[in-house]
Amino acid sequence: MIPSSLLCRKLCILFSSAAMLLSIGCGGAGSTPGTVTAPIQAAITVTVAGPTTTQIGSTSQFTATVTNTTNTAVTWQVDGVTGGNTTAGTISSSGLYTAPLTLPSTTSVSISAVSQASPTVSGTVSDTLFGASMMTAARLLDQTSFGPTADAIQHVQSVGVSGYLTEQFAQPATLLAAIPTSPLPALCLANNTAYPCAESEWWQTAITGSDQLRQRVAFALSEMFVVSTQSIPGQAIPSYHNALATDAFSNFSTIMKDVTLSPAMGGYLNMLNSAKPTGSQIANENYSRELMQLFTLGLDALNQDGSVQLDGNGVPIPAYTQTQVQAFARAYTGWTLANTAGGAVTKFPNNSGDYSDPMVAVESKHDTTSKTLLDGTVLPGGQTAEQDLQAALTNIFNNSNVGPFVCTQLIQHLVTSAPSPAYISRVSAVFANNGNGTRGDMKAVITAILTDQEARAGDTNAEYNGGHLREPVLFITAMMRALGFTNTDGNGSYFSLSGQSAKLSEEPYRANSVFNFFPPNYVIPDSNLNAPEFDIENTATSVLQLSLADAIVNNKIGSFTVDLSNTSAMGKLAANPANLVDTLSMLFMHSQMPDTMRSTIINAITPLTSNAQRARVAIYLVITSSQYKIIH
Amino acid sequence: MRRRSFIKYASLAAAGNIAGLKPFGALNALAAGATDYKALVCVFLYGGNDANNMIVPFDNTGYATYQSIRGPLALGKTAPTGNNASDGYIQQIQSIPGFGLHSGLSDIATLINSDVAAPVVNVGNLTQPLTRTQYLANQLGSVPSNLFSHPDQQVEWQNAAASGATTTGWAGRISDAINGTYNGSATIPMVTSVAGDTLFCNGVRTTPVSVSPGNLGGASCSEGAECSARLAAAQSLITLSSGISLVTADDNITSNAYAYAATLTAATKSATALKTTFPANNGLAAQLQQIAQIINVRAALGVKRQIFFCGIGNFDTHSNQLVLQANLLGQIGPALAAFYQSTTEMGIANQVTAFTMSDFARTFQPNSNSGTDHAWGSHHFVIGGAVKGGAMYGAYPTLALGGPDDSGSNGRWVPSIGSVQYASTLAQWFGVPQNQLATVFPTITNFNTTDLGFI
Repeated sequence: MIPSSLLCRKLCILFSSAAMLLSIGCGGAGSTPGTVTAPIQAAITVTVAGPTTTQIGSTSQFTATVTNTTNTAVTWQVDGVTGGNTTAGTISSSGLYTAPLTLPSTTSVSISAVSQASPTVSGTVSDTLFGASMMTAARLLDQTSFGPTADAIQHVQSVGVSGYLTEQFAQPATLLAAIPTSPLPALCLANNTAYPCAESEWWQTAITGSDQLRQRVAFALSEMFVVSTQSIPGQAIPSYHNALATDAFSNFSTIMKDVTLSPAMGGYLNMLNSAKPTGSQIANENYSRELMQLFTLGLDALNQDGSVQLDGNGVPIPAYTQTQVQAFARAYTGWTLANTAGGAVTKFPNNSGDYSDPMVAVESKHDTTSKTLLDGTVLPGGQTAEQDLQAALTNIFNNSNVGPFVCTQLIQHLVTSAPSPAYISRVSAVFANNGNGTRGDMKAVITAILTDQEARAGDTNAEYNGGHLREPVLFITAMMRALGFTNTDGNGSYFSLSGQSAKLSEEPYRANSVFNFFPPNYVIPDSNLNAPEFDIENTATSVLQLSLADAIVNNKIGSFTVDLSNTSAMGKLAANPANLVDTLSMLFMHSQMPDTMRSTIINAITPLTSNAQRARVAIYLVITSSQYKIIH
Repeated sequence: MRRRSFIKYASLAAAGNIAGLKPFGALNALAAGATDYKALVCVFLYGGNDANNMIVPFDNTGYATYQSIRGPLALGKTAPTGNNASDGYIQQIQSIPGFGLHSGLSDIATLINSDVAAPVVNVGNLTQPLTRTQYLANQLGSVPSNLFSHPDQQVEWQNAAASGATTTGWAGRISDAINGTYNGSATIPMVTSVAGDTLFCNGVRTTPVSVSPGNLGGASCSEGAECSARLAAAQSLITLSSGISLVTADDNITSNAYAYAATLTAATKSATALKTTFPANNGLAAQLQQIAQIINVRAALGVKRQIFFCGIGNFDTHSNQLVLQANLLGQIGPALAAFYQSTTEMGIANQVTAFTMSDFARTFQPNSNSGTDHAWGSHHFVIGGAVKGGAMYGAYPTLALGGPDDSGSNGRWVPSIGSVQYASTLAQWFGVPQNQLATVFPTITNFNTTDLGFI
């Protein structure tokens, strides 16, 4: 549904032409304005009717009413150009206006109908172009950013979905600063460890970065390619996160390569310093197994719609075997930390402490025997560590499981917990081929995910059954952004937010295991609902989140401040409870707050005499509601 | 409490293991705790604990075999020094002299020697009894799905090896079966998790109460006199119907959260604090302490049967195993000892049984990275006054790569005991009647023994 502020299809403004003031053409050349005294025939008039606003890329039907002539045919113009053009939009001979795909510099166009009987007589209306509806804009921001703000909603309304995506694709990555080992920066010196610095940088970037989509996708990727400072140094995080952010719009094969060679993943899943096995040992299987099981293929062979392939006995077909795990494990041997300048080394293991540069190979520690990989692909003996690695990653990347496995999880993180098989199929097809023959094009995949009919259905149907639980980190960033919290920490640290999210079982880059904070296949007990984030919501965290909401509206979040006083914007709005609640509905709920919820909150705050308290209580009731917690 | 347990307790106290509790206090507590009550406490070791370095042959021949294959990961029989001081070592178990226990678990050794704890060896997920030969013959129908995968093997331990995906765990199914029999007047569910949501806790009709250790109370409110109005409005929002499935699901959880928080707050408000000291800076100990505090108010909660879930992670020791595992076991030993002590303080040591579970054991053959990889059959502990302690249950695997117990050639033991048998033994002690056993454990009928006799 298009909001009333932008569109009113029922109440159409009739803009009558100037023909009433003129008397044209009946008597021929002798007629001049104001001098005609006895027209033989009433003057021709043209009146145009139609919508006052049109969304870019969509159409509006205009009609012309021509009076006082039997020839009612008209010629349609946009901004005075017959048939219009691609900049201002085109219009058909029957008055069907097609808005341009992107907003022109002037967002208002004039639609005119010119009488064919009397070409000097025309009717004109003004049509304002807009990018997206309020609901679309705010929902898109819930899917593509760390939380909508009033400004961002307005911006997306104006530039539209594809305009916003194009802008965001062009935004360069905000990079997390490297963390020196000694001395540690002031903000993590107190903890005497680097991870608080990494988390502070991460929060700040998520909340304030202008590359919101890139960071949001990087966050999703960080929950798929999981590393954790519970067992790797905080210094490893900035370069890892920066790689995910930089690669977010590249190719999935690039992400695989950069993750594989990162010291963060190397340290976390032990490809770092994994040497070729001697006679009495086996190669470390950790990265080999999890790269396939968790990051790219999953356990079972998949169809392109994400469903599991079964054998003749109805048993799932494994995506790989234990023997293949051991073969890949040998292919990944021989990698260690680069020297402090990022260069090659001969020492193995090399503990230079350089967690900023990709790992480097020491050939003498690489297993050079041949390996048989997926689909019978054989890596011949005698290859270098780099050759084996590249071939192994290519072997996995080209497996048909990667599209449905990876796209399903990206959809779950960005849009909905339980996408339909058809939705997964459509996105998997784009993963397989972006239209130009390229596999793994992340921009194309992300565009397909966000513009799919299933992602956008909720724009016009507030009760569309889908969405996903707002995980604790996204809850906190959304609060910071929407309510306008500002940082007051002496060192500019955002780390206090980790203390808040950790209570709810989530802390950036600090998961308990490689299985992330929650698994993609989690099913809510006593239901058949696949809803990953629900794995970390239970009766204990539910209460803790209520307490967090109380702290948020009462300005009790350490290192941050927010103004919700009587004189704040929210406080002033609270003078009229309905206005306040409608603003909160826009800011937090895509203007889709159910009527019953709206009236409950209005009734709850109206008796309060303090506008500040009205604001606090109303915000609390909105942000603790299940309607808000489920991004839908 | 049986006299034998009292002596055990007294000897622990004499050894300085119990702080601040005199024997007469224990007797009083014993009298007070004599009502019908039993609790099972699951301690899940996430990541796959390398049990091969937890219980090790101590006789010369057995140890030599262990040492030769384990190579750089072999633990010594004496405390290491210098750079290796944090690696741990093997200490002989007095009551099971052929075996030694990791030094991080010396408190558990004390409990074994006091006959209130027992190791159960080479337990793992099975759908039916299985030999190496059968496994290698690739009899797929008889092998649990997705062996060596963490999440799958965790799930199979928790649902008691109903191979493949199920939506219930065995604690939840026990609750489905007997909650009505025992907990008719209970104000909270039979199952409590202090380590988040897990499959173990969920039944067809059962969802657990979750507790965040140290946060038993309700949500905070800073709105003074308006708090009750705010609460009323928030609770009224929960009741509004929605066409969004996840909104409804979230409403259900929130609604339970309000109810359980109120119940637990009321029950614990006037409770006497436990005197048992739990180790500080020990996440598992904090969870077990929270469990003890809830058990302590069992009468106010109206529960006669409770199952608890707690856990500790980072056992996935693919590298640097010696230091990592020694640190983790060094947390488990003191935490479980303190918990046992708290049950003696409450006078219900015979009525509370703790036990371990873990994804799987790890390859007996070390990898080239000072670590081990995912394997299968593993060793576990059961602890409590009801345990027939001081003995080892099950057949310790033959430590030979490619040997009779190896599923392949890297020392991934084919279990000799199914995790479902381990579970069903505990369940029968807990009160699941024979005629419900197959309902709770659908695969138990594939095994000859449903009770391993350790309790």
